[in-house]
Amino acid sequence: MKDAVKNLLGRKIAGDAAVPTDRTDEEFERLGHELRKEVSSIFGRSLAIREVDTGSDNSPEIELNNLTTPHYDIERFGVSFVASPRHADALAVTGPVTRNMADALRRTYDATPAPKLVIAIGDDACDGGLLKGSYAVLGGVDKVLPVDLKIPGNPPTPEEIMRGLLRLMAAIRDRKATQHKHR
Amino acid sequence: MVDPLFEEMGKVVPEGLLKGSWEGKDGAIYLPLPEDAFGGVIKGFVEKGLVLVGLFCEEGFREGERFTLLYVFEKRGYERLVVLLRGLGEGRASSVARDFPSASWYEREITDGFGIAFPDGPDGRPLFLHECYPDGFHPLRKSQARPREAQKRTAYAFKEVTGEGVYQIPVGPVHAGIIEPGHFRFSVIGETVLALEIRMFFKHRGIEKLAEGKTSEEGVLFAEAISGDESAANSTAFCECAERIAGTRLPARAQHLRTVLLELERMYSHLGDLAGMAVDVAYPVGASPFLVLREELLRQNRALTGSRFLKGAIVPGGLRRDLPREALAALGAYLPSFMERFVEAAKGIRSTPLVIDRYAGTGIVRRELVKPLNLSGPIARACDVRIDTRADHPYGLYAAMRLTPRLQQDGDVLARFEVKAEEVLASATIILQLLERLPDGPVRTRCASKNGYALALVEAPRGQSMHYLHLRNGTIVRYKVRTASFCNWQAIEHAVPGNIVPDFPLINKSMNLSYAGTDL
Repeated sequence: MKDAVKNLLGRKIAGDAAVPTDRTDEEFERLGHELRKEVSSIFGRSLAIREVDTGSDNSPEIELNNLTTPHYDIERFGVSFVASPRHADALAVTGPVTRNMADALRRTYDATPAPKLVIAIGDDACDGGLLKGSYAVLGGVDKVLPVDLKIPGNPPTPEEIMRGLLRLMAAIRDRKATQHKHR
Repeated sequence: MVDPLFEEMGKVVPEGLLKGSWEGKDGAIYLPLPEDAFGGVIKGFVEKGLVLVGLFCEEGFREGERFTLLYVFEKRGYERLVVLLRGLGEGRASSVARDFPSASWYEREITDGFGIAFPDGPDGRPLFLHECYPDGFHPLRKSQARPREAQKRTAYAFKEVTGEGVYQIPVGPVHAGIIEPGHFRFSVIGETVLALEIRMFFKHRGIEKLAEGKTSEEGVLFAEAISGDESAANSTAFCECAERIAGTRLPARAQHLRTVLLELERMYSHLGDLAGMAVDVAYPVGASPFLVLREELLRQNRALTGSRFLKGAIVPGGLRRDLPREALAALGAYLPSFMERFVEAAKGIRSTPLVIDRYAGTGIVRRELVKPLNLSGPIARACDVRIDTRADHPYGLYAAMRLTPRLQQDGDVLARFEVKAEEVLASATIILQLLERLPDGPVRTRCASKNGYALALVEAPRGQSMHYLHLRNGTIVRYKVRTASFCNWQAIEHAVPGNIVPDFPLINKSMNLSYAGTDL
């Protein structure tokens, strides 16, 4: 109880002079509200993402996890990371595709209900990056699956991932509009 | 004066052979052994209690022998390492894994990479080459082409655990959370784990081979890619190797700033673990303060180096560029408040019985395992083993620092929590001290590309990382890395049995091993 009162009345973290302030949180918030509108209209309120790591250096996972931490909390904008491909609208793939993971990636994709999207996150996932040409690596995610969006970066920051998701929404909107015209 | 380690060795190695040894540019004693003397020396090393910190192979290390096995030994209490060189006339050798269990994975790795068999080894299964690689493919041989497609091997045989009521739970490589891929096979009775077998190397990217033919300037990028949240530690180890080969002495400012980055890395890496442990006992209230602090550190990282993971900052000869003075000043102003809030956050965990109830007595790593499995880092310190590479084999600025390793006794999740929590504060204190007496001057000096080889050990957040670099005519001919996780993963097979299945994620998180850093 004492802690609760202290929390309510005490100094807020954001107001601490020694804590560095930058524009990251405000910018993320702005992008988030934009994304929420898109997700609401295109996906009927929620976009479910299943992450698959096919050989990253682990930093893209840390940034994806960061999207769910207090500074970012992406769920409030309608995006959630789900435990099974069966629940997913999209796969977020990190890392170049190693030979040892190619089969698992294909099977995860097959387990995802259509229509489904594939997002390549990070330089390695986009085109193999630094690991290009290795005997152990097939290349970027598009060597194995059709890729709808590439978000480069080593790794991309939470903000860059948000911008990427917004680009994806715009692309889907365009695609829908074209399909509609041709009907 | 006779070197004390040399004297110690003289009790085990015949004098005539000892005369054939030399001191490497890394200060280690390199000792070639004829095959008939090898077994005896190994027995002597067992009796003397040496630890096998690394074992790897190089093709063309010395004239006249195709393959050389390098056995890297540590005698606790001595700064210098001992490297036994074992030339192979043919593609087979006797195993040392029964005397030094850590060798089991090392030897399997060598078999995959070079096609050298250890017929008397305890485990002959492939390690990093999964079923998708054809038989007879050994990527680290100089003459090896790319693997041919569509030639699958027979399935990997997991160990069978049988008995009435025993069932298996296979998990992975794709997990439920945002986690790296690996396979865990639990044999369970009721809710209690009877045995756990792990299978790794799904992320094997062939980093060691890719580095071959590159300059050391290019090679450091591969070191950074080993394990994203240990990029400062691994790039430092790589650069230490290159600098030892060249005999480069770093400018004081470069040494100081590198140390700042290394300790920052330890802090943000540990914070992720401390948060993850609370998440895995369903206590997000306890996790959130750690996550907030870690995000702040990642932003400090970016202000200092342009990368939230400190990438691109450390290069052979020092730093790529000086760190911005404003960012350094801001870090110094920030850390005292960080420490204050960190203490509060840790108190929040310690004062919550439901958390302590789950942490205490869970996932115990026994002290007796530390030497045979070559465990290191917080896992070892949490079972009262006084090892820390920064103190035992000091590099860079650590030689002048005299660090005291933080120890706990119980070897359980709670002990690992406490070690990491104390280390976060210790690292913050180190950084503050460094920032106070930061010397001026250049941050980079020329690191010439000379022919030669060297080992380097560093204390990454997860424990000791061993790097070996061999340069010839300006390019890398062999780059070998053995991270802490490579050895520490094997501890989990011992720590989990006897616990209930739902405690596995917690135990796993308390160790927070790197999959990428193991699979390379």
